[in-house]
Order: sequence, then structure tokens, then C-alpha cells
Amino acid sequence: MHTRAHDSPGLIGAEHSVARSLAYGERPDDVYPRVLAAIGEALGWLLGSVWEADRARSPSIVCVASWQAPGVEATDFREITESIRLGPGEGLPGRVWSSGEPAWIDDVTTDPNFPRAAAAKRAGLHAAVAFPIRSRDRILGAIEFFSEEHREPDERALETMASFGAQIGQFVERRRAEEAVREAGELKRAMLDAALDCIITIDHRGRVIDFNPAAQATFGYGVAEVAGREMAELVVPPSLRDRHRAGLARCVAAGGTGDLLDRRIEITGMRADGSEFPVELTITRIDVPGPPKFTGYLRDITDRLAAEAELKASRARIVSAGDEERRRIERDLHDGAQQRLVAATLGLRLARRKLEQDGDEGLRLLDEAIDDVVGATNELRELARGIHPSVLTEGGLGPALDSLVSGCPVAAELIAAPEDRLAQGVESAAYFTVAEALTNVVRYAEASLATVSAVVSDGVLAIEVTDDGCGGADPAAGSGLRGLADRLAALEGTLAVQSPAGAGTTLRARIPCA
Amino acid sequence: MGRTVLIVDDHAGFRRLARRMLEADGYAVVGEAADGRSALAAARELRPDLVLLDVQLPDIDGFRVTEALVSAGEGPAIVLTSTRDEADYARRVERSDARGFVAKSELSGDAIASLLR
Repeated sequence: MHTRAHDSPGLIGAEHSVARSLAYGERPDDVYPRVLAAIGEALGWLLGSVWEADRARSPSIVCVASWQAPGVEATDFREITESIRLGPGEGLPGRVWSSGEPAWIDDVTTDPNFPRAAAAKRAGLHAAVAFPIRSRDRILGAIEFFSEEHREPDERALETMASFGAQIGQFVERRRAEEAVREAGELKRAMLDAALDCIITIDHRGRVIDFNPAAQATFGYGVAEVAGREMAELVVPPSLRDRHRAGLARCVAAGGTGDLLDRRIEITGMRADGSEFPVELTITRIDVPGPPKFTGYLRDITDRLAAEAELKASRARIVSAGDEERRRIERDLHDGAQQRLVAATLGLRLARRKLEQDGDEGLRLLDEAIDDVVGATNELRELARGIHPSVLTEGGLGPALDSLVSGCPVAAELIAAPEDRLAQGVESAAYFTVAEALTNVVRYAEASLATVSAVVSDGVLAIEVTDDGCGGADPAAGSGLRGLADRLAALEGTLAVQSPAGAGTTLRARIPCA
Repeated sequence: MGRTVLIVDDHAGFRRLARRMLEADGYAVVGEAADGRSALAAARELRPDLVLLDVQLPDIDGFRVTEALVSAGEGPAIVLTSTRDEADYARRVERSDARGFVAKSELSGDAIASLLR
């Protein structure tokens, strides 16, 4: 027996029901059962299901919702429908998904492409119709209905169902887009909440729009205390507020640009209890329509500054411990071996006097011994000078550089030296810089003249040693220069060597000495 | 020129040898001191013609002792000495009121006499 399912009141009723379901529906999962019921009841179908193309494991299509008319018994068929996974073109939903066109099957139990045929037969289901759920650019899935009777395909019904497919598809697409936006928003909110850095957003008047949990914890404010208040009052120390307000006003007047934006700045922040602490701050303008809004990323750098200060102090300690050690060695040399040699020299001279009366041979031997001892004494004195020159401690840089220059095997001139004494560490570093530079001149430069100058200006001691030799020095190569660079760096000084091949060498060191 | 000498040096070995050297050259060593303060006391008490004075003393250095001896009025001639070179003291020897400097290992009566001329 055949029934025509083209009752106009049924179709119009179905159209109304579907439209209403989509208008008031929140999410596709809520809407699908309502839509299936609306169409199924209006058109007299017994079972219906919605299938979605599985985005996670494509390409396949799975059932995500199903409906049966009241009183219908088809548990077995529903179970299979809800568990089966169909590929493109496979079964009724699969073929509709692939073709993008509605399909009508007169008797599913004898259809060559219907995997659920056996279960359908057991449930007494024969006629079936399916139409695609289509969005603007693709097929999202399919909707199918079944009935006991054999039915003839109905053009009007197919057209109407195709239109349902488009409406439902649009609805699903729109809801998915909204969901994506909401998830992105939630994601970003979660990122702001979890951030370790303080993130504060203000409007063009400097009032707080957002104050993330890290900012709340670091500055000691609750969210309720900060919303809408002027950020300058909350986190900027009183002495810096006017400057901050002026800077913001300038930036806004310039249309939201300025040289304070997009760079790391070290300034002082203020907590809720008024205590101040060092922060590193970066401000950016955020890209939204309307008057400019700014976001500041802040980090409490108290620990970092303390670590840097400790590092600097420890380097200075290491260098000064080295200097102390050398002074000690020089004193030990002076008090120990040198004293003995002096005594030996005097003793030998005295012995010589006694022998003057007695014998030439003895005199000759003694003269040799005296020469040996005087030679050893001179060598030790040179050694002591190399370790720590007492002329530097006693007379300062001028006399010490003078002694280096006059003791230099290559002709050398001292052009300028400071009149006043400088800090011990500075004078030591300067002396050893020139000593090392002159050693290199003698060893490598094949020069005929070297010049040395040391000048203090603007709180910096500038040392220059030049030679007219063959150039080509590599500052990275020698451990002597590297050790010097370290010693200078510990004093916040710098070392630079210019040595073009064939054009002589200039070594420049700069040491702050204010 | 008088010939009495006060020897000031913190090394007993050097004082002993210097005494023998100077006595062999006709000087009369009237006293020894091992540091700056006792040197000043000994000079006040013994009134030597000459003080042979080491620069590196444990309490105050030879230059300060020289100043103190000279400022006390009519004082002895002072000859500074050291294991170090005169050059190591930059120009301090010149600027002081000592007659001059003799390196310890060069010490002899003649070396001192030439400074006192």
C-alpha cells in the first residue's frame, strides 16, 4: 500500500516547526531532536536520525541524534544506527553526504547500498528518505527518515527537505563559529589568568579596564578595588605620577603612538601598602576601534637586580682578592728572600775587606759571589715588580707608567698621565693594561716606537697604547688580553683593540673612575 | 762631620751587618732601633750625628720618621735605605728632608760619606 506524503498542511506545519526550533535553539545538540520530531511528526515518518561528518576521524559520517515516533518499537535498529560508522558514499547517509543531493529509497531491505538492511527488515522498515545538511561551502552531514510503508518519491517533499537541510546547515555553522569565538575568548582569559607577568589594561584616560591575577597578587589589590580607577593612583609612586599622566596624554594626543611604547623600561612601581619596588615594564597599544587602549606587561625585578648587584660585587671581590694576594706575595718576597740576599751581600763585602789584606784568589772568588748575589737581588726585584709594582702603590700611575715606559726594550714615550691618585683597583688595572700592551708590542709588533697615554675626563680614565708596527693583532687570541678584559669588565670598563694589518696597533681601555 | 750613628731597621740581621760595615769604616754606632717610635725616642736620647733609616718599618714608614726628626729642630743627618730601589719610591726621597738614599746591598761608609758631602 502506498501513501503520498505531499499533504500541504503537513509540509507547511513542518516548515513552521523547523523554523521555530532553529530560532529558539541554543546548540545543535539541543536542536536536532526537536527538528527530527518536527519533520517526522508532520510528515508521518516513524524514525529519523541526524548524521554529522566526523571532523576528528574523517572521512566518515556518524549518527549524533535520533528520534522515533511514539509507540514505535525499533531498539535494535536504533542501536545499530547509533554505533555504525559509514564512509563517503556508503549507505544512505554516506551517499547523500557525497552527492550533496537528497535521496529516496523505496525499500531499504532490498537496496544494494544499505548496510543496515537486515536490522531494517527485522524492524519492519522499508521506505527511507535522506537530505544533506549543507553550509555555505560544504556538506556538514545528513538527516534520514524511515517508514514501514513503501512510499513514492515526492518532489515537493524533497524540495522542502532540501530547504530544511540548508536552514539547519546555516544554523549549525553559525553556532559553531560562535562557539569558536567563545572558546578563543575563554582561552585568552585563561592565558591572562595564568600569566606570571602582571598584565594591566587601561583606557585613554588611564583608567583600569583589566588587572590580571598576577597584577592583583604583585600589587596587593583585589579586582573590585581596581576596576575603573586611575592606574596612576594605584601602582605609580606619587613622585612619578605627574610624569606618567603627562606621558599618557602625549601618547593619546599623538593618536596612540610614542617612544614609550613597545620597549622594555625599568621604573619603580608602588604596592597597595605604599611600598615601592623596581619593575620592568613594556607598554603596547592594543588594536581595537575607538580611542586608544593600552596594555602594560610588568615584572617585579627586585630579585634580578639583587642578583646582578651580587654578581658585580662578587667579580669585584675576585679581582680585589687577586690584587691582595699579589701585594702579599710582594711583601713576602721583600721580607723573605730579598732580606737574606741583602744580608749576604753585605756579609760578602765585609768578608772582602778582611781578605784585602790576605789573598788575591780569595778576593776574586768573593767578587764573583758578590756579583751573583747582586744579580739574584735584581732579578727578585724585577719579579716583585711584575707581581705588584711598589712604585704604583707609592707614587701612583704617573711614576709607575713612567717606569714601564723607560724599562721597555722598544722605544716608548709616555704622553700623558693623571696627576691625581685614583682608586687602587683602577690604578692596578690601568698599570697592568699598559704592561700587557707593551709586552705585546715587544713580542709581536716589530715596532720602532710605542706611545702611552692615560687621561681622566668626565669620570673615565682613558688609556691608549699605540705602536707603529705591523698590526694584525687578534684581541681574542691572547689569554693575557682576555684576562685584562675580564679585570676591566669587573670595574665596568672596556677594552678595544684596533690592529689593521700593516698599519700598527692601538689598544684603548676605558675605566670609570668617578 | 760627626760620626755617631743610630741604625733603624726591623731586621736584626741587617742591623748587625750594617754595624760591622760602618764600624769598619770608622763610624761609631751608638744605638739601634727596630721601629719608628723607638727610633724617635732613641734619637731624642742619644742625639746621634747620623741616622741610617729603613723606609719599610712595621709601625710608621721612614718618611714619616724623617719628618718627625727634622721638625724636632736641629736634628741628625738622615740617610734612607731599603731592599727596594730608590726609583720604586717615585720622587719621595727627593721631596723628603733626608740627605739621600743607599740601597741596603750597596751599604758602605763611602756610600754614606758621599751623600753627606
